[in-house]
Amino acid sequence: MTEKDYNESVLLYADNVYRFIVKNLRHTEDAEDIVQSAFEKLWIHKDNVEPLKAKSYLFTVAYHLLIDHTRKANRITLQESFENDSQTAYQENKALKKVLHDALATLNETQRSLVLLKDYEGYSYEEIGEITKLTTDQVRVYLHRARLKLRNYLISPQQVL
Amino acid sequence: MQNISLHNYQDFLLRYIDEELDLREIEALLAFVALHPAIAEELESLQLTKLDIEVISCPNKAVLYKNIFPVILEPETIVYPYKQKLFKKEKEKAPVVLLKWWAVGAAAVFLFMMVRYGMLDQKAGSTVSKNSISKNKDAKESPIAVVKNNAPTNNSTINNPDANTGSMGATKVVAVIKNNTSNAMEYAAAQKIQHQTIPTASTVTAHETVQNIPSYNGDIIDVKPTIIAEITVPSMPENDETTETIETIDTEAASSNRSVMVGAFEIDKDKFRGFFRKANALFKNKENNRNEK
Repeated sequence: MTEKDYNESVLLYADNVYRFIVKNLRHTEDAEDIVQSAFEKLWIHKDNVEPLKAKSYLFTVAYHLLIDHTRKANRITLQESFENDSQTAYQENKALKKVLHDALATLNETQRSLVLLKDYEGYSYEEIGEITKLTTDQVRVYLHRARLKLRNYLISPQQVL
Repeated sequence: MQNISLHNYQDFLLRYIDEELDLREIEALLAFVALHPAIAEELESLQLTKLDIEVISCPNKAVLYKNIFPVILEPETIVYPYKQKLFKKEKEKAPVVLLKWWAVGAAAVFLFMMVRYGMLDQKAGSTVSKNSISKNKDAKESPIAVVKNNAPTNNSTINNPDANTGSMGATKVVAVIKNNTSNAMEYAAAQKIQHQTIPTASTVTAHETVQNIPSYNGDIIDVKPTIIAEITVPSMPENDETTETIETIDTEAASSNRSVMVGAFEIDKDKFRGFFRKANALFKNKENNRNEK
């Protein structure tokens, strides 16, 4: 990958990676840090990355950075802090979307990442498996569990009322 | 394809939400769902879990670019102020006239003929000028006016009856002017000769006729261009001045001034100039015809 390819990757994939991270973390500053770290890693290894696989490489790096980030320190405290922080919290305009994203928050990082990669980026089971280092069956099973969990949250009596 | 049943339909529903079914599986699932309204409601609830695509921009994307930023330059119109000085006009090349071998040969033959006949004419002219001293017939055809002082003779008869002058003695003055004087210069030279010779004769007549030539009536000789006048004047041994004056008008000298020696050939300048004028006119006509085409 050349410098030009790298800059094209920034132009094409930075928003996608950021969306993937910010939807997982629900914290913009942490998401920015992870996105920046992901692209920095791409820049360092640009000679070993083919341009066509730059997007997959970026999501793989971002996903692992996300896992590392959430496993650090007190994850629950962090989650509470950005939920209460009005400046950094991701603003949801629509009620249904807010409920859905609240449901996403009930998922673990792996399940949430799988849902985001599937719905936002349109990756197949195989591609998600390459990014998350999971098998195709694992991706399918984890993703199905995440869907059922989201559905149960959405149709729960509290959300209906 | 695996058949859809009440035991495995949920897997088909989830794969349908994840868009992992092929067309045949989709058709089979939709047919199965159509047969089971409860499963249709379950499908709708699962569809709610699918996230709508949101467009979220990375806030600090600029810091991610390395070295080169994808900047699109807007087209800018800059006019160079001294453009007029840069224009060049190619000089017109002189047309190259290609001569064919037969044209060159014809020109050479023509030139040779001109030179040869020019020389012949010139020789003939000089011959006539020499012969015209003694023969009037030859002198008539010669375009040159000749006046020459002959040796004194005792014959005092008037050779030309048209000449209304009496014989003046031993000195014979012959004025020969060609009738058809095509060359104005020759005619002027003849006129000059006439004015130089005749006053001399008349002077001789005025002063000496009374004393020495009783038969001379004193009239001035009227020399017309068409007249060949042969005047016999009395011999005057002391009249050397007149003889010298006449000799300087010899046409051989005049013709030699007009001739040019080219190798062993003697070429008349006027004829040579005329040839080149004709050749130049031919080339110009060809060039004009070519330009018109």
